[in-house]
Amino acid sequence: MFASVEEVQERFRASRYIASRRIATVVYLASRMNRPVLVEGPAGVGKTELAKVLAESTGRPLVRLQCYEGLDEAKALYEWKYAKQLLYTQMLRERIGELIADAPSLTDAVDRIARQEDAFFSRRFLSPRPLLGAILADQPVVLLVDEIDKAEVEFEAFLLEVLSDWQVSVPELGTIKARHIPLVVLTSNNARELTDGLKRRCLHLFIDFPSVGEELAIIRLKVPEASEQLARQVVSAVQKIRALELRKAPSISESLDWARALVILNADRLDPQLVESTLTLVVKHERDLERVKASLDKVLADS
Amino acid sequence: MDDRILEFIGDLRRAEMRVSTTEALDALQAAEAVGLEDRDDFRHALAATLVKETRDLPTFERIFDLYFFDLKGLGAEAAKALGREDPWARALLERLLEQSGDLDVDPLAEMLLLSDASSLELAVRQGGRGVGLERLFYFLQVGYFTRRIWDQFPWQEIEADLEALLRAAEEQGMDPGALARLRTYMELRLEAFRRLVRQHVERELARRGHGQADRLRRELLAEKPLFTLSADEVAQMQAVVARLARRIKDALALRQRREEQGKLDMHRTLRASLPYGGVPIELRWRRRRREKPRLVTLCDVSDSVRNASRFMLQLVWNLQECFSKVQSFAFVSEIAEVSESFRTLPVERAVEYALGHAAVDYHSRSDFGYAFARFCRESLDRLDRKTTLLILGDARNNYNDPQAWALRLMRERVKGIIWLNPEGQWGWGVGDSVMPLYAPHCDLVRECRTLTQLADVVDGLVQGWWRSRGAVR
Repeated sequence: MFASVEEVQERFRASRYIASRRIATVVYLASRMNRPVLVEGPAGVGKTELAKVLAESTGRPLVRLQCYEGLDEAKALYEWKYAKQLLYTQMLRERIGELIADAPSLTDAVDRIARQEDAFFSRRFLSPRPLLGAILADQPVVLLVDEIDKAEVEFEAFLLEVLSDWQVSVPELGTIKARHIPLVVLTSNNARELTDGLKRRCLHLFIDFPSVGEELAIIRLKVPEASEQLARQVVSAVQKIRALELRKAPSISESLDWARALVILNADRLDPQLVESTLTLVVKHERDLERVKASLDKVLADS
Repeated sequence: MDDRILEFIGDLRRAEMRVSTTEALDALQAAEAVGLEDRDDFRHALAATLVKETRDLPTFERIFDLYFFDLKGLGAEAAKALGREDPWARALLERLLEQSGDLDVDPLAEMLLLSDASSLELAVRQGGRGVGLERLFYFLQVGYFTRRIWDQFPWQEIEADLEALLRAAEEQGMDPGALARLRTYMELRLEAFRRLVRQHVERELARRGHGQADRLRRELLAEKPLFTLSADEVAQMQAVVARLARRIKDALALRQRREEQGKLDMHRTLRASLPYGGVPIELRWRRRRREKPRLVTLCDVSDSVRNASRFMLQLVWNLQECFSKVQSFAFVSEIAEVSESFRTLPVERAVEYALGHAAVDYHSRSDFGYAFARFCRESLDRLDRKTTLLILGDARNNYNDPQAWALRLMRERVKGIIWLNPEGQWGWGVGDSVMPLYAPHCDLVRECRTLTQLADVVDGLVQGWWRSRGAVR
């Protein structure tokens, strides 16, 4: 899929994603070793984006499973289409009647119905959810399990089973094996500790806030309309804001939003007034806002 | 290479990182996949397979650097140990060695005199192979192992060779000044080699001993009576407290899952009934959510119990998200709220604030009665049935009026009162201690002289078991 770490970087770049050497190495390993990647890091540094770009650059469809509290197997794996099954039974009542009409005994009738069981518990009545969908797909896919930390521990254990054997057992149908092993990306915001088993199974990738150079490259790539000087100033200011003690430090998504907004406002350089009026795009908490405003001249220094 | 990686994993484990066998195998596979050409790629590959906790990354990086040297960096370091070159002496020696083919100079001696830093370093490591460096754990052993490695080299022959070289130079009619310079050069090289050996042993110690001493210290600190801690130890405690807090949190996350069942969940029961044609054969239950406790802490911040207060505040700060609300008060005799600083400041500054900058008379004598009465008059509305009141203090009241009625009044308002006393139980009620007067109004009174005892109580508070254990007295 990827021949080298460099190729990962290049192809991600073509999909407009700047992957650091660390990210590229892990992605390369994941594709070579068929291992899921567990991505951790602050919100907004491009964890989910990584999966999307991975899908795009490998030309695979993306199957997304968004986790939340109370997510269970029925919603993640498969569910029987009960209503459809009932409907079919109703419609076929006469045929069933015919089938057992001449049965000599009750046992015989039950046997005859049992022989038809497969008709009702078949793929036809199975509605695949994201996990089963990823396993049954005709072509290899990228499976994104987003915010796994929001789901409960039981679900994690169950997911682990799927991820380690690439098969799912449906009691009525038996075991379904994966046709193609999907590339799996799991993301976590660290709302709780993940279990050891899952971590052991995955390659671990921590994405932190980018360095000045990386962030500049990202803004230049994603917001090409922004002038060189503006991009530089935005990066320098955001990096300095991150150094302040804030409740929620601005992430890459915030700096991109900011740069886009500034372009719309036709700015080609930052000045204190402009920053003050657009600061809400970068800093989301009231108290943080005050703190940044108080040290505005430091944030804007030599930019 | 595999051996090296496995050995490296052994070091990570010694530094308290958990690495399973599958992860070790993954690491080998990953290392093979990325190859060794690029040191950074190699490092990232090992990190992705071996480090599963972000907090372990710094440890990993440190040990990685100690283990898989940057050959370039290493050469530079060794070159520094070698000191300044003397090109003249070097050139002279090269000429001498060429001419004196019949002298039969030991290759080691030749290397010692002429080789660059990296090959000397390699020789040192070669020498270090068989001396049992795996038993190196303490700094005191460095001298011993340096000597052991030093003794691996045939010094008698080498010195004889050096003497022979000097003699050969003399025979060629070299003047005494130049001879002295040559001799100095040789001595400096020997000295530098000795330094290289020592550096090697020290690096090995850093690599092997990493984490061991730390762990030992942590365990000792957690059991040490709090009032005996030195300023240095207090600073180290911060990490210990954070670790404890994390353990409590992790345990909580696991335990929250094993809850008893609550009410019938109609929604899910109906869905489960579908395969049975609408007959609810399988019942589904709503999971009962444990409500997070509310916490109000009253913390004696007078000098006598300062350390205990500090660690309790640190622990509470670290566990804030385990409670639905935390309100903190500091008192000596005057009492003041410090909740705001807890919400907004990072842990050290929040605790410093409570211990030194709150609107409290830090240098007066503790007066529990006055503080409690004050609290009752002004802040009683902060208490409700969902709140647990955590009081830390030695109950040494300096013969003031204990005003136990205030504590009783508080007890009527809250879910429970826990009293942590940093003084040993034998002292309660002796002298000016009024613990026995306060104890009847508390649900749980615990001695907390060490960090372990403190953590035990806070753990109980978070998990909610403390009520079942009952009062000590």
